[in-house]
Amino acid sequence: MTTLAMPGEQEAPDATPPAAAKKRKWNRTSIAFVVPAAVWLGLIVVYPVVATIRYSFFNESGSSFVGLTNYKNLFTSDALLTAFRNNFIWVVIFPFFVTFFGLVFAVLTERIKWATAFKTIIIMPIVFSTTASALVWSSLFDLNPHVGALNALVETVSDWFNPPGAYPVDTAAGQTVASLASSGVRVAPGSNLRSVAVVRPGGTVRLGLVGISPATLQVLEAEPATLPKAQPGAVTGLVWRDFSPSHPASRTGVFRDEDGLPNLRLSLLASNGSSVASAVSDRHGLFAFTNVRAGAYHVQIDSSNFRSGFTGVFWLGTQSLTPTNSVGQTAQALLSVPLVDMSMIVTYLWIWCGFAMVVLAAGLASLDRAVLEAARMDGATEWQTFRRVTMPLLAPVLTVIFVTMIINVLKVFDVILNEPPGSSQEGANTLALSIYNFGFTGGIHTGLASAIAVILFLLVVPVMLWNLKKLKQPSNG
Amino acid sequence: MNGRETHRSTLRTRIGTAGAAAAAALTSVTVVAGLLGGVSSASSVPPAARSAPHKIGGSVSVWGEWTSTEQTAFEAALKPFEKSTGITVNYSGKGSNMDTALEAAVSGGKPPAVAFVPDPGTLRVLAGQGKVQNLGPVIGSLKNNYGDAWNELASVNGKLYGVWFKAANKNTVWYNPALFKEAGISSTPTTWQGMLADAAELRAAGVTPFSLCTDIGWPVADLWQNVYLKTAGARNYNLLATGKIPWTDSTVTRAFNVLRGLVGTPSFLFGGTQGSLANKYPDCVDKVFPKAGTMPQAAMVIEADFVTSEITGNSPNYNAGTKGKGGAACTANPAQTPCYDFFPFPAPKGFSVNSGALQGAGDVGMMLTATRQAKALMKYIATAQPGEIWAHLGGFTSPNKKVPLSAYPDAVTRADAQELTTATSFVFSLDDLQGTWEPQMWQDMLNFVKTPTAANVTSIEKTMQSQATAARAKSGK
Repeated sequence: MTTLAMPGEQEAPDATPPAAAKKRKWNRTSIAFVVPAAVWLGLIVVYPVVATIRYSFFNESGSSFVGLTNYKNLFTSDALLTAFRNNFIWVVIFPFFVTFFGLVFAVLTERIKWATAFKTIIIMPIVFSTTASALVWSSLFDLNPHVGALNALVETVSDWFNPPGAYPVDTAAGQTVASLASSGVRVAPGSNLRSVAVVRPGGTVRLGLVGISPATLQVLEAEPATLPKAQPGAVTGLVWRDFSPSHPASRTGVFRDEDGLPNLRLSLLASNGSSVASAVSDRHGLFAFTNVRAGAYHVQIDSSNFRSGFTGVFWLGTQSLTPTNSVGQTAQALLSVPLVDMSMIVTYLWIWCGFAMVVLAAGLASLDRAVLEAARMDGATEWQTFRRVTMPLLAPVLTVIFVTMIINVLKVFDVILNEPPGSSQEGANTLALSIYNFGFTGGIHTGLASAIAVILFLLVVPVMLWNLKKLKQPSNG
Repeated sequence: MNGRETHRSTLRTRIGTAGAAAAAALTSVTVVAGLLGGVSSASSVPPAARSAPHKIGGSVSVWGEWTSTEQTAFEAALKPFEKSTGITVNYSGKGSNMDTALEAAVSGGKPPAVAFVPDPGTLRVLAGQGKVQNLGPVIGSLKNNYGDAWNELASVNGKLYGVWFKAANKNTVWYNPALFKEAGISSTPTTWQGMLADAAELRAAGVTPFSLCTDIGWPVADLWQNVYLKTAGARNYNLLATGKIPWTDSTVTRAFNVLRGLVGTPSFLFGGTQGSLANKYPDCVDKVFPKAGTMPQAAMVIEADFVTSEITGNSPNYNAGTKGKGGAACTANPAQTPCYDFFPFPAPKGFSVNSGALQGAGDVGMMLTATRQAKALMKYIATAQPGEIWAHLGGFTSPNKKVPLSAYPDAVTRADAQELTTATSFVFSLDDLQGTWEPQMWQDMLNFVKTPTAANVTSIEKTMQSQATAARAKSGK
């Protein structure tokens, strides 16, 4: 795509200085100077552009003319509509935020000590290769909190407010508290587990659970389960891992290689369902509620024991931020806003904010201080000065940044190729990446790739021309 | 290499040469085969062969894909040949470029005398063009050295053009024996249903059954291809690979539906569906066989035999097989006595006829220039000796029946090699045979992992069929 965008960018050297413009007589010397450059430009710019446009009307291998078929496919295939949608999301979100943050940093660095150090840090990412940045952010966004810094942060905060239980269920894998109940236990409202049998003081209960990880038991220093002994005036019982490696198919019985479940919080429920006592199981899985009044009770294993911890946000996944789960595939391609797009936009902001900041800081530095002083003298607050004086004066620079960034993200490519996992590639696809995928890897389809390139070119051209016009204005006026 | 070994190997090669001389005299191919069969046992040396060494001298150029440590191992495997014949082998490792490099060299008219290609398709194409020499007259039948499946893969129109040397096995499910023991699973499953039953057992024991490597597409493709091979058989597999069976075929649907039993059960998968889509290769292997300091998080990983280097790379403690050193029990903790083992990818009940069908990869040697040196090398390659040497060095399995199982360093590699040599049919990865639409096929497979429903299978199959048709139309096949 860079090649296609070049004719515009190359116009500047063609502009003849005003003095020379008077005598436009072509003499041999001037032709001799122009020809090598013209030939070169023709070879690397004009020819590829023309060839690309020509190819876009041809089939996969460029051997036969297919008319507008490629363009028709372009707007009907879900995969390419996804690419269009993603480009749209990028263009709507990215230029605004990069300009915004660039401005914030530019204004802030005007007022702080160590401004140069600060600016250096902000601009540093632009020195790194985009691929390297994308890979770094790919691991920052990793699903596993032990790898991804962002999920580690969320995990810390989440565990603070919502500590996981001693036996967290694996909600990510669809494990439920109900699936843990094995013998003598049933599910009660609120994801609590409750003894099936009614127990009276002096009686015992045995509550068997399955799906308990041996690793968890090791951490909790569990000991082999032992049968509970009845005590007068007390409800005693056992909670144990009802899974014996030596008798894997046999439940209910308490085998020697079955461990008790330590640290489980239990409640004694009266017949009206209210909790009258609580207990915690020991290393052998034994527990006791003492001094229990006569009556019929149930023992409950509280759901808090199984509360699952934070399992990680799949930042680089294609789950949509808009509710599009129930709509058709094409509608999904058009309307979904995948989370991975947002994550990549954050990465790209990190890369480009420094650039925006530097350009805007230069703009700020060249502002007429007298105007700002005058505003302040007239009693304008800082905010008013910024809003009514600085912003309008900076408007041309802001526009240039904004428009440059629109062009920049229309072509966005390397972040998408490198940051999301393969499973998110299709949902994170953009036009520029599709050109690469169709044109250079896998199912090579020169015609389709060229058609996408042409469309992308058409999208970039108006923005580019407008930008050029804006850039020329100051010198003209 | 010590003196005694050198002496032995010299003798062996001399037999080979003598055998060739005998063949020339008797013009009987069977005699050669008989002699070749006896090559690996030094005791069967006929007295006549103990004549003065006859050195051929000169040199032979060899290309293969092996570089770095593999290159060193391959060169070591050829040392005895060089010593006994006086022929210098000029080996050049081409890495993953092997096929393209060879094609270019062949069309440029300067191919190496001997080449090892990782793709029997290349051999078939070159044989069709008459660029590869028929090996029949040179080494006779290899019926005693390789199973029929292997010789058929290296033959075109009944003529032998290639000698298999190194092979990889994708028909493997790697499991952590300690975790199987924790779940009371005493023997490895022999059917697909048995494997899923064991998975349920592991779940009840609190162990996550599978770590799926599905962050990218190729491992899903390998997995699906295993299922297809086991349910539809090698014949259909090859028909599907060449487009003679459409992707909308009932055999394809059946394979998808069988696989849904695994992929569509999130509680069997580490991290559920979402976690699987973020499970990177080779981290997915580390979840089952972790480095010291972390505990395993899943019991099985379905991957090819090349993962052993990842496992042993994680810790030198890992023992091949179901017992530690000196018969010690395996432990889940990798700091103690961790173990690794595999069981053959199981066929579903009622499909045991396809149990011996293997998916994998391999390098086949072929002769492009019929020099004396090249002929001598091809004969040497078909013997047990080079394979035996590389097997000792590790990271190598041979499809050659003559390579004694005792040459392999451990029981696991031995079982792996035995599977290869006794395969009733051997197929290469179907995705690699798909040419240009391979990346699209991988995305389709990932799409299946994302939404493993019957409805999605129907839509994926349609997509795959249209992609395959388009790719085939383009390549003109």
